[in-house]
Amino acid sequence: MDVNVEREGVLWRKVFSKIKAKFSATPNAHQNRIRRQKAVVALLTHHLPFIKLALFLLGYLWMLSIPSTSLSTNTYIDENALQPAQVNTYWNWGDVHTADKYLEQLETLKLANATSFDRAQVLRKEFSKLGLSASTQEYSFSLSSGVTRGANAYAVISSPRGSGTEAMVVSASWVSLTGEGDGMLNLRGISTVLALAGFLKRYSLWAKDIVFVISDGYLDGMHAWLSAYHGSTQQNLVTEELKISSGVIWAALNIDYPGHSFSHLGIFFEGINGRLPNQDLLNSFERISRYTGGVPVTVYDHLHPQEDTMNKQGKTWIPSTIRNHQNVVSYAYHARNIVRHLNYQARGCASGVHGLFHQFRIDAITIFAVPSTGPHGFHAIGRVVESTLRTMNNLLERLHASFFFFILTGPERFIKIGGYLPSAILISVAMMFQGLGTWVDAAWVPDDSEESSQTKEKASNTPLKWRKRRRPVIPALLIMAATHIFGGSLFFILTRSWFMKNYQLLSPIIFIFFAIIPLLTLTISKPTSENAPLPTVLKALNLCFASTVISITAVLNFSLAVFFSVLLGVPLAITSSSSAAPTRALRYIAHILLGLGWLLIGQEEMKAAILNWEVLSVWFAPVICLLYVPLVLQASIVCILPSCS
Amino acid sequence: MPSLNVAFPALVVARLFVALSSLPDVLKHNHQLSSPLTSFSQLQEGIYLFNHDIDIYSGGTFRHSPLLLATFATIIPTSHTLSSILWTLCDAAGAWALVKIWRARQNVASTPRDSLIAASYLLNPYIFMSTLALSTSSLENTLTLFSIMFACHGNISAALLAFAFLIQLSLSSIVILTPLLLLLITNPLSHLASPRPILVSLRKTIPLLGEITAYTLILSLVSTLVAGSWAWIPQTWGATLTLPDLTPNPGMWWYFFTEMFDHFRPFFLMVFSIHLLIYIAPVCIKFQHDSLYATFILLGVLGTFKAYPTSSDPGLFLSMISLFPETYPYFRHPIVTTLLHLHASLLLPLFHHLWLVQGTGNANFFYASTLVFACANGAALIDCIWAGLRIAIGKQHENSAVVQE
Repeated sequence: MDVNVEREGVLWRKVFSKIKAKFSATPNAHQNRIRRQKAVVALLTHHLPFIKLALFLLGYLWMLSIPSTSLSTNTYIDENALQPAQVNTYWNWGDVHTADKYLEQLETLKLANATSFDRAQVLRKEFSKLGLSASTQEYSFSLSSGVTRGANAYAVISSPRGSGTEAMVVSASWVSLTGEGDGMLNLRGISTVLALAGFLKRYSLWAKDIVFVISDGYLDGMHAWLSAYHGSTQQNLVTEELKISSGVIWAALNIDYPGHSFSHLGIFFEGINGRLPNQDLLNSFERISRYTGGVPVTVYDHLHPQEDTMNKQGKTWIPSTIRNHQNVVSYAYHARNIVRHLNYQARGCASGVHGLFHQFRIDAITIFAVPSTGPHGFHAIGRVVESTLRTMNNLLERLHASFFFFILTGPERFIKIGGYLPSAILISVAMMFQGLGTWVDAAWVPDDSEESSQTKEKASNTPLKWRKRRRPVIPALLIMAATHIFGGSLFFILTRSWFMKNYQLLSPIIFIFFAIIPLLTLTISKPTSENAPLPTVLKALNLCFASTVISITAVLNFSLAVFFSVLLGVPLAITSSSSAAPTRALRYIAHILLGLGWLLIGQEEMKAAILNWEVLSVWFAPVICLLYVPLVLQASIVCILPSCS
Repeated sequence: MPSLNVAFPALVVARLFVALSSLPDVLKHNHQLSSPLTSFSQLQEGIYLFNHDIDIYSGGTFRHSPLLLATFATIIPTSHTLSSILWTLCDAAGAWALVKIWRARQNVASTPRDSLIAASYLLNPYIFMSTLALSTSSLENTLTLFSIMFACHGNISAALLAFAFLIQLSLSSIVILTPLLLLLITNPLSHLASPRPILVSLRKTIPLLGEITAYTLILSLVSTLVAGSWAWIPQTWGATLTLPDLTPNPGMWWYFFTEMFDHFRPFFLMVFSIHLLIYIAPVCIKFQHDSLYATFILLGVLGTFKAYPTSSDPGLFLSMISLFPETYPYFRHPIVTTLLHLHASLLLPLFHHLWLVQGTGNANFFYASTLVFACANGAALIDCIWAGLRIAIGKQHENSAVVQE
């Protein structure tokens, strides 16, 4: 018994000492660890320029390869309840005739130059004749450029099978989205909606209310209607309250049919501030259009080069073997779609009236009938819309299963977030590495105090000694804060009505004023030899902040992040101070032009962005003034500040 | 640097100016700035019900201490403007206490850094925004700072009374009781560079412990009188332990318990609660030579890991870093911590917006950003612990390295 206890004791002690030996490392192990650590750090710092370059190159190459087919996958329906294209449609030639009748009526209205209010009254009467509860809504926007007035007409089919707590919207705007609402009228779209209203009322299978909205103008009418519907107020908008209301809107289809007939149905889906609808809506529509309507679908109004017989030549300077190679053709087609998408999303613009729904968490798309000489017309679009509404009618909860973050490269191909996000993130990481590298470098200076005491040969033999120095963080942060306040004041000026009235004259003046003010930093900075040079520290912090901005916007609005990483990536990374004054001035001017050049050459774009901010609260203009301009100004200050050691 | 006499009123006036703008209305319901335990609108709702003779602790919506209820239902009216002023003045008092703590630690009447210390509290965005949202966590912060300030001055009863009030408002603050008692029997001067075992007998804390218990009992009795029954205990103190309300907040608990099967809940609630307590002993032992630093570290633990945190809890920890400039040269990764906080403070509101306003994101997005926030707080905490211990070894010589055994 005793022996047993003793043995157990010994065993216990052995195990304990083994554990102890494992966890209390010998001094040698520590040495090894420190050596390993130092080797890794040395490897990293030694190869940092190469790593940065590789990250930048990889990021930009990834960006260029987004249109290639290898990154995209086929679209699919994620929500099982949708069951697209699984129903018999009842829309028939009789309904097409009704639509034609409505079209005639609308054309007489157009020829008679009817006012918005008269038009809305006529439309309301037509809805009422169908036995729907219908009403009109007048609104007016007071903008810095003048007052916009209009009137909407709308009607509601109360759901025969539901409590009316949920609704779908079928809408058409008076002005088509062709040329971003440049005045082409959407008469056939409106006729379709009117005919659909009469047609859909005949069926008792609706589990959700159906709301028909004929909005005035291009975006303004629908914005007023949606604001009134959701009770959101806006300072410059006066609207009539809606007399008829319905439930929570889950999905909306906006019909845009400007031409005489159409060959394809195009999908427009970008909402304001870069919000996208759930992909299930797009995919359901695409399936339905293909199988039920027999109409091919495109993204926007871009026809695939193989189908586009009208416009075949392209860039003639490229040899035809390359130009007509299948991969090149598909790359060019996808790239065209993606560039259009980036253009809408980065500016935060809605690509059509549907985009306004997104701000109220409603999934919406515009169905665009691509104008052509044939072969499709009211018959096809009516069936497609009917079947799509039937699919949306199946929803038991909001669309949530499929993707909200995607890039649609073709009607049946898309890229998931993991396929495109790394491109911007890689560039942001490269900038972060550069910023951190600059930050570390700023702390060290070669120690030459000992060198003077020793002989020169010795100094060249022994490795360079390094001395730590202080980094002036507070002045750098103050300069950064000042540039952001500066950007805020720029935005304040741009949104004044006196500026908008004379923007062509005032923009160059403001450009000159804002280009000169950063030079004030020259008078403030007092270079000292003990501290690290201010431009280096400013550059480090500027790069770190820009990198943060890019990586965070990449998740919210990838296109904006691409815009930032192209315009900020390399220009911010290559800033440096120089001892020669002319070089500094040149670099400064280049950066100022990059940051504020839009005041000189992009005035119309600026006006549109500010109008979008005032009417639709699109964030593009404030983001440019409060983030982009200050970041570039910081870079230009890095360039203009004298370097000294 | 401007002297405190100029800077302090200027900062307070600037804060008042912002507090009386329309910004507080936007921030009032923000989940990052006020939790169900500290939300002002819930306090108002409770006061309304209380004035209409409805038992407020039976519904599960009101989780504030009866003391707050009594104060705001009888003494101070809850008009928005008045509350904004009161909350800002509370922050000003907190900043003043922080300056007093700094002076006590330096053992001088005034220093040139005073205004910087005050600014670090009054301009800290985490604290500032939370105060604008009228979260009662600002009041908790002020009470914390007051009890530390009184403890630094050796004013035992005042320190313990302030602390007893603090426990009434937030139970998890009990974590800093031990270092606070140690601080009361030692001094607030910086001994980080010369660690030594605690010289005073620990028996001295026993009467202090008795005193704080007495205060807590009395205040609990008062609370019971106000609430009319003991029902307030499970609704206020119990909430920090049983997590009945899973409203998202910037902390680590809510998401974990939304995902939890119910039969595992009690076990993990225990694990999470005890996890907060296990830091007390090691931190107090390791920093027994400098109890103020131990208090500071434990406040960092609270800000990172407590049950219903708001942004002002880690904010208090970050502002208190300004009290210990002697540790700055020994920080290992201050820029990494700063960048993590920059990322977290941008990601939190954005992902919150994506999930709850725009509807394109989901809870996982916000949870991911709270993880970034936790990493940022953790990085700050670890760096402060490292610097606080590393300072004793002194400057590093060439060709040598400091190793952690």
